[in-house]
Amino acid sequence: MVDNSNKYLLQVHELKVTYFPANGDPVRALDGVSLDICSGEVVGILGESGCGKSTLASALLKMLPPQAKCEDGSILFRGRDLLSLPERDLRAIRGQEISLIPQDPALALNPVMTAGSQVSEVLRSHLPLNTQQRRQGVLDLLREVGFNEPQEIYSTYPHQLSGGQRQRIAIAQAVACRPALLIADEATSELDVSLQAEIVTLLSQIRRQHGTAILAISHDPVFFAGFADRMAVMYAGRIVEVASTDVIFGRPLHPYTQALVRIATSSVVTGAAKSARLPVIDGETPNPTSLPVGCRFEPRCCERMDVCSRRYPPEFMPAPLANVNCFKYGEHVD
Amino acid sequence: MSTNSPANRGNEPEPIGRFLCASGLCKKYARGSLWQKDRSITAVRDVDFEIQHGKTLALVGASGSGKSTVARCVARLERPDSGQILIGGTDIAQLHPSELAPFRSRIQMVFQDPVTSMNPRFSAREVIEEPLIISEPTIIGRQSGQVGYTREDRRDLVRTLMAEVGLSPDWMDRSILHFSGGQRQRLALARALVLRPQLLVLDEAFSGLDLSTQAQIANLLLDLQEAHQLTYLLISHDLALVVHLADVIAVMSGGRIVEIGPTQQIILNPSEAATKKQLVSAKLATAKFAAAVGAQG
Ligand SMILES: Nc1ncnc2c1ncn2[C@@H]1O[C@H](COP(=O)(O)OP(=O)(O)OP(=O)(O)O)[C@@H](O)[C@H]1O
Ligand code: SF4
Ligand SMILES: [Mg+2]
Repeated sequence: MVDNSNKYLLQVHELKVTYFPANGDPVRALDGVSLDICSGEVVGILGESGCGKSTLASALLKMLPPQAKCEDGSILFRGRDLLSLPERDLRAIRGQEISLIPQDPALALNPVMTAGSQVSEVLRSHLPLNTQQRRQGVLDLLREVGFNEPQEIYSTYPHQLSGGQRQRIAIAQAVACRPALLIADEATSELDVSLQAEIVTLLSQIRRQHGTAILAISHDPVFFAGFADRMAVMYAGRIVEVASTDVIFGRPLHPYTQALVRIATSSVVTGAAKSARLPVIDGETPNPTSLPVGCRFEPRCCERMDVCSRRYPPEFMPAPLANVNCFKYGEHVD
Repeated sequence: MSTNSPANRGNEPEPIGRFLCASGLCKKYARGSLWQKDRSITAVRDVDFEIQHGKTLALVGASGSGKSTVARCVARLERPDSGQILIGGTDIAQLHPSELAPFRSRIQMVFQDPVTSMNPRFSAREVIEEPLIISEPTIIGRQSGQVGYTREDRRDLVRTLMAEVGLSPDWMDRSILHFSGGQRQRLALARALVLRPQLLVLDEAFSGLDLSTQAQIANLLLDLQEAHQLTYLLISHDLALVVHLADVIAVMSGGRIVEIGPTQQIILNPSEAATKKQLVSAKLATAKFAAAVGAQG
């Protein structure tokens, strides 16, 4: 067998995660998710609320809440399975080799610590630096994430910063130890449009300068344009299509991806007049406690066939490096 | 169809022309510690605008530019320090809460996260009819000359409203905890409509919703506006949606409206730096996307 562990930084294989709520039925949030990420690559996860994006992000960091259980699969990081590593080894990996940019930095930052000391704290817990080196390190990081007056920012408290500034502090923390993989879970969704663009530019720059691989998560296709190399589209706990960003936007294969791209295209800022209705996907995402047996998109799909409600579609590869789970692209063999 | 439906419950003639006119609005917030009460920050200064009946005015601008403060003043959740808010000849800016009752039913506000403002133990029906129960003896009775709604009337009204916002009326007795994000936003709209308002103030009502849900809600807002000649004051940082929904765009910066005009004019010929900054970033992001979509088909 070829050893691919050098090529791939992260290999997720058939990951299954279930939540067991105290009262209520179990919810299979990830139902066999497989995904590879190479060093220095930006991979986008596109999917709508509840499809399992954040569960995937926390599973990769092994930071799932207590009522969630990883029931099956493997997560190889540089060839080591994170799922069987002891917590002590994981702590060394988290923050240092894999780190997370949270969705809402306001919640992640400590309100009674200055911005600078919160970044400093990350350096202290992972790297052997003296006080002077750490302070210099923090100032360099603050400059890198776009603060022209790092000294001043160093001693401000989170509540004195705007949303965009707080997000930059969270990014400085996340990149402090030069991780190989950065996970950005809806890192710009809370920000206004000009700040969103600035944060995406910053992330691209970090990737270029340090070769950091980024797993970027968003519900908005526009976020990934000019940023992600490849994209995985998730629907109801499964990845339904993986392809280069060019293919996802230019020739999407899965009917769900096609619909999302159509909606995003029709709602871009064009100067078109009011009153026309936007294209929509009829219906709603399925209830996670009672998922369809066949293709999960079947109840909303305009192209469904008989087989679609009977079996889950296997993976087809209708174009090089484009994988899709849809019966449009292959024969169903019983 | 029930005679209680929001479409035909009214007894007022259908107004045309200007619905609301705000002029010289100012609002300061006290800031700083208990011992330094004198420090204050001006959130909104000298804001003027009009909204035509049945039309949509969108407020856009960077975070902290004062959009929500204007919205809260218009809905009178906040009392402006000075300035006028004229609705049909009455200045509501300084009205005492006791005199505001008739205006409260005409102006309803929908927030970003509707559930936080709903009682989690309520069913969909209870959420929708709550404003009716709270205000019925005072407003509805006086305005429509009706004494009140019976329980059955209210059920009919809830049924009509749920169908109208695209929710199955069969779900009216379900706990709101069973509703998804998009469904809760529909519930919030049904609740906002129950008093048959003329103006809906929508503050980031789309944020946090999925793209396909946003599209559904945007279409619903257009449908409702056409059906009931509703007037909207819309706040959203999503320029694409703003362009899709608004007739007039007002751009805010540092508490002021720096540019206001018809949507087409603002988008195609922005004159202020603040407008251009918002537009350029929005267009850069979407241009890359449009290029990627167009590249291969
Ligand atoms: N209750 C309050 N107390 C003190 N300051 C406030 C309060 N509400 C708002 N502000 C301040 O007023 C200014 C304008 O706030 P506002 O929320 O109206 O802006 P916005 O444009 O809606 O921002 P965002 O898009 O972030 O919601 C900001 O500087 C804000 O910090
Ligand atoms: S498998 Fe069938 S139902 Fe599912 S997306 Fe493809 S065509 Fe539609
Ligand atoms: Mg606001």
